[in-house]
Amino acid sequence: MIRVVLPAHLRTLAHVDGEVQLEVKGVATQRSILDALEARYPMLCGTIRDHVTQQRRPFIRFFACEQDWSNESPDTPLPELVATGVEPFLVVGAVAGG
Amino acid sequence: MTPPNPGTELSPQEIARYSRHLIMPEVALDGQKRLKAAKVLLIGAGGLGSPLGLYLAAAGVGRLGIVDFDVVDFSNLQRQVLHTTHDVGRRKLDSAAEHLHAINPEIEIETHEARISSANAMDLIRPYDIVIDGTDNFPTRYLVNDACVLLGKPNIYGSIFRFDGQASVFAPPAGPCYRCLFPEPPPPGLVPSCAEGGVLGILPGIIGCIQATEAIKLILGKGEPLIGRMLLFDALRMKFREIQVRRDPNCPLCGENPTITELIDYEQFCGIRGDEVSGPQLGSQWETTVEAVKARLDSGDDFDILDVRNPEEWQICHIAGAKLIPVADLPARVHELDSAREIAVHCKTGARSAKAVAFLREAGFRKIKNVRGGIIEWAHKIDPSMPTY
Repeated sequence: MIRVVLPAHLRTLAHVDGEVQLEVKGVATQRSILDALEARYPMLCGTIRDHVTQQRRPFIRFFACEQDWSNESPDTPLPELVATGVEPFLVVGAVAGG
Repeated sequence: MTPPNPGTELSPQEIARYSRHLIMPEVALDGQKRLKAAKVLLIGAGGLGSPLGLYLAAAGVGRLGIVDFDVVDFSNLQRQVLHTTHDVGRRKLDSAAEHLHAINPEIEIETHEARISSANAMDLIRPYDIVIDGTDNFPTRYLVNDACVLLGKPNIYGSIFRFDGQASVFAPPAGPCYRCLFPEPPPPGLVPSCAEGGVLGILPGIIGCIQATEAIKLILGKGEPLIGRMLLFDALRMKFREIQVRRDPNCPLCGENPTITELIDYEQFCGIRGDEVSGPQLGSQWETTVEAVKARLDSGDDFDILDVRNPEEWQICHIAGAKLIPVADLPARVHELDSAREIAVHCKTGARSAKAVAFLREAGFRKIKNVRGGIIEWAHKIDPSMPTY
């Protein structure tokens, strides 16, 4: 089980309350997690990755075990702590409220 | 931070006021003099600006600048604790200056009544040592970031939405700037503002206090600042997370080969045109007024009213007989509407309903009209007893 933390506006869009828990087939990578996330919550398609290019959108970043994975290859295996659900995969978005 | 002028001294009253600082080895007399000599600019006297102002004034920051252009509204009071019920309708700057002086008459408060812009940002920021970003929109976030980088000023960042907060210190070259983290803002309308999505009233207190703490640490030169790190706060789970944020060598502002060397048009950069604020331009044949809707209701016309706000907004107020389908749910629930019937579509002020009308028009509806001004206009012109928000 992999845990994913979404920004508040995407939690609202996906109608989820807290962390999302996903079963990911194969190795836990950014791509496999996001594929599983979008399969379960199709309304998130295009909000995290571009619809066409599948590139991370520039107002979103990915973190695992406190480290920024945003510029890593989407197919690089994520840390074991994330793969085993000990640590969540963080999707962090820009917010501007003050 | 530069050390205080050797001539900076504390009066007996100040020594009494700051005694709990003075006995701390991390502050002591030298640190308190640094605070007295410091010049800090707060951008915004709202949710984040309130705790920032209160605590930095109390701590004895010698010169506190505040930039704001707004007036106090009832809807501010749930979180903007710098202002009181008596201040509703006053300029926030007047309210802020009065309350901060009451807390600490020893400090200097400089008020700047202006909407910070590319035209004035450099001049506003230049005289200060530290800038604290308490703004509430993306264009101003990028403007403040860029001006701070160009002027070499640390930018203490905080932002909030609903139950979530972020805080960091952007201070290239020691760490990244805001553009290193988010090179581009979200498209308009994708990430709601606090005015659209709400915010827990206490949240700016927590994030603002973190920003104030970072300001004090920078002035004192003590501790480990949040440079290269960001705190993420989740109030619902009462959890703080820390993430590492790195400089982007290709950052167009603070990278190795910068292409942004002066302030730009931030409204344009953030993609904000008139229709993002007021919704898509539909043309007059697709619009109606609250007066026309009321007249049709009074004359017994057979038509539908569609409210595309959220259920929480519906609970505050709604027009009797209206049907609620939040705009985000419209694609999945469009089958609940009859395209053969006339439909007046409204939201809070008309922007979301304009999007809804544009969507329904694409879906083949031809007898739909957007109610200009939304339910707020209805409350003002048709039913003044209706509560507004």
